[in-house]
Amino acid sequence: MADVATTLDTSFDDAPDPDVAHGGHGYATNTGLSNTKLAMWLFLASECLLFGGLITTYLLYKIPAAGHGPAPHELYDIPFTSISSFVLLMSSLTMVLAVSSIERGDNQRFRLWIVATALLGSVFISGQVYEFSSFVSEGMGYTTSRSSSAFYTLTGFHGVHVTIGIIMLVSVLLLSHRGHLHRGNAETVEVVGLYWHFVDVVWILIFALVYLIP
Amino acid sequence: MAATTHEPDVVHHEAHENRDKKYVLIALILAGLTVIEVLTYSIPDAFGGKASTTLIVALMVLMAIKFWTVAWFFMHLKFDKRLLTVVFYAGLSLAVLVYLAILTVFRFWGPPESHMIKNT
Repeated sequence: MADVATTLDTSFDDAPDPDVAHGGHGYATNTGLSNTKLAMWLFLASECLLFGGLITTYLLYKIPAAGHGPAPHELYDIPFTSISSFVLLMSSLTMVLAVSSIERGDNQRFRLWIVATALLGSVFISGQVYEFSSFVSEGMGYTTSRSSSAFYTLTGFHGVHVTIGIIMLVSVLLLSHRGHLHRGNAETVEVVGLYWHFVDVVWILIFALVYLIP
Repeated sequence: MAATTHEPDVVHHEAHENRDKKYVLIALILAGLTVIEVLTYSIPDAFGGKASTTLIVALMVLMAIKFWTVAWFFMHLKFDKRLLTVVFYAGLSLAVLVYLAILTVFRFWGPPESHMIKNT
């Protein structure tokens, strides 16, 4: 495992240096960074607090009192959720390939990878809708117990984030079709990619903490 | 002359192609880690049994590795300025500390009977 990590760490030496990519001078800002990218990272840092709060609430209310309907963990379909998790994980790959394509000016492949990412995101959301509807049909509604409310709020908020991500991907695709996106402003796509990857890492946490840990 | 003019582009293109292959490799590693996570559910005895400390620690470690891998490679923290890493991990660390404190205050770490919140 350590060898693989070392190989990956050193094998990215061909990656463009951010300073060199901008004429060796970085951006004309106080930090030398793009303000857009810095703003997105600050936003994502604040999102850690939002999702941390939602995950904590779920953990505190995880076990409903007797007579208040089934607990979420009694209804989980782990094989199904595992496939959803895999789909979202692969959407991170297609997203990073889309960023790589626009950076080298390959608009055809860029559009292909963006469409693939949006489709994988849609599959994930469809899975979540199916999961929610099957939980409701088994007697666990939003107000059945504090446990169910915490579960639906956490996973629902994540689902809303994925949906917003899909809207951003479609917007980027439309911009590309109208000729507004090219190698020179690839950063727009990178920033959308940051948001998308964040949604993926949040699901990595939810999948382990909410679904898998007994 | 024309060949010389296009040479940097070709080199740049090859570098991108190599990078894409490495992204695919990373995704395969992430998929493998996810399979191990799912195995903790399907064969918990291999990880010390359901709800065992070993299983929980294994899941937490796998989760942390996956989180770091996506942030470091896919989110380009490895390639970007260190300030962005500091900004993100500052927010993450603050969240972890605040919510660990809250879970401790509500006596989450003991058995369910000891929890301060009685679920209704």
